[in-house]
Amino acid sequence: MAAILQTHSLGISFGGLKAVQDLNLTLNEGDLVGLIGPNGAGKTTVFNLLTGIYLPTTGDIIFKGESIVGLKPYQIAAKGITRTFQNIRLFGELSVLENVLIARHLHVPYNMMHAIFRVGKFYQGEKEMRDEAYELLKIMNLAHKAEEKAKNLPYGEQRRLEIARALATHPSLLLLDEPAAGMNPRETTELMELIGFIRSKFNVTILLIEHDMHLVMNICEQIYVLDYGVNIAHGTPEEIKNNPRVIEAYLGEGA
Amino acid sequence: MLNLIIIAINIILAVSLNLVVGFTGQFSIGHAGFMALGAYASAIMSLNFNAPFIVSLLVGAIVAGIGGIIIGIPTLRLRGDYLAIATLGLAEIIRGVITNIDYLGGAYGLMGIPQRTNWLWAFGCMLVTVLVIKNFIQSSHGRACISVRENEIAAEAMGINTTKYKVIAFTMGSFFAGIGGALLAHYITFIEPNAFNFLKSFDILVMVVLGGQGSLTGSVVAAIVLTLISTFLQSLAELRLIIYAIILILVMLFRPQGLLGTHELSFKLLQRKRGVSHGSHSADA
Repeated sequence: MAAILQTHSLGISFGGLKAVQDLNLTLNEGDLVGLIGPNGAGKTTVFNLLTGIYLPTTGDIIFKGESIVGLKPYQIAAKGITRTFQNIRLFGELSVLENVLIARHLHVPYNMMHAIFRVGKFYQGEKEMRDEAYELLKIMNLAHKAEEKAKNLPYGEQRRLEIARALATHPSLLLLDEPAAGMNPRETTELMELIGFIRSKFNVTILLIEHDMHLVMNICEQIYVLDYGVNIAHGTPEEIKNNPRVIEAYLGEGA
Repeated sequence: MLNLIIIAINIILAVSLNLVVGFTGQFSIGHAGFMALGAYASAIMSLNFNAPFIVSLLVGAIVAGIGGIIIGIPTLRLRGDYLAIATLGLAEIIRGVITNIDYLGGAYGLMGIPQRTNWLWAFGCMLVTVLVIKNFIQSSHGRACISVRENEIAAEAMGINTTKYKVIAFTMGSFFAGIGGALLAHYITFIEPNAFNFLKSFDILVMVVLGGQGSLTGSVVAAIVLTLISTFLQSLAELRLIIYAIILILVMLFRPQGLLGTHELSFKLLQRKRGVSHGSHSADA
């Protein structure tokens, strides 16, 4: 299988603090990979590097065979990497449907002149976009809330909407930043099934950050463990579970 | 007749500023600067080149639009209050530059501009402005602008080139401000740099805030109401500003989102309101 994403000794420093160092990730097409580590280990920083929010101080990021270092976040999104946010960043005042529609803008089938003069492909295109957005909302079980303001959704549904919005860009690599945070056990189980379903349905590679070990161990095929910005372990869930360095990082020495 | 034409012009100005401030969330307070560009460019076309009115109008709008691009690209990197100060300053610079160009009449301004703005022109331009901005807002490109207001980082992560949409909104806003300026110049037949100072920018901003940032119909209503109020208060020159300020303070206290918030006045909304008051839950159906 071909590698869709590779990082080569990726690193970033903020002043003297090396938030991430010498990270070598390899994600193959269709993989479901977990990125775990204690709080402050640099997991979200890795996402910010991959999506162009931060510029790495060292190393390279190769996506589908080309370097994406230095590209703006919207260019990276257009290349096929989208994400959800740990601290939810929905378009709060807009409806659930509009949130998804905005992410469809990358593939808008008409141009600005069509929109202003309401000619040509506008109505047809707008209908297509809405239909697709509805389709996605149905899959994410949010269709009944399509007209609701995003900020009025309960927490778990906001997380699902973030995933729906990210999927609307038609990504080939989906980055999920703590998708289960704030969910109850039942919602988490549903989410696990959903993530597996999304991967096969949309043909995406998924990299996820998660604190819920049950979820990570159950659905990820590969796991990378970060501690103080350093990748201390990499392997299958079984290997990670029994890795002494990982246990030490999580529970402290002597555990 | 006077009121109607001024109202139409103010609607154009308020709606176009709302596109920038209300919908795209870029707090610009230099709208009068772009009005000035439109007013002067169109006046020169009419005075020195004997251009037909439609040509003067378009030249005014295009010059203001280009001004919008030139000012927008560097300043729209700034956020919030920094952007406000930068746009305010640049609008004052536009005024300062005009004051120092003899060809444009310097501080005395330009006189004897042919009076060509009639009710039909003003109303027609207003209609075009509102329609174009409404159509833009209610499209994928308009939603891209709104996403910038809602959450810039998320918008960017979803593939929206936020800088591009800020500049597009700013340019469109400036373009229509130019039309507003051109209409005004050809209505009062006399323009001077001081007519386009920051107080004028402020007047327009008040309309946007009062009507509701993110509501086109709100801007229209506010432009009508405030124009009427200031006409009635004209005899009380100084008092006008005090009453203006009081209105603003009251709105900010009791309705900080503006008269209409982000809602639009429409038959649908009226129907929904009626449905709610009758206690029916039609939304659940």
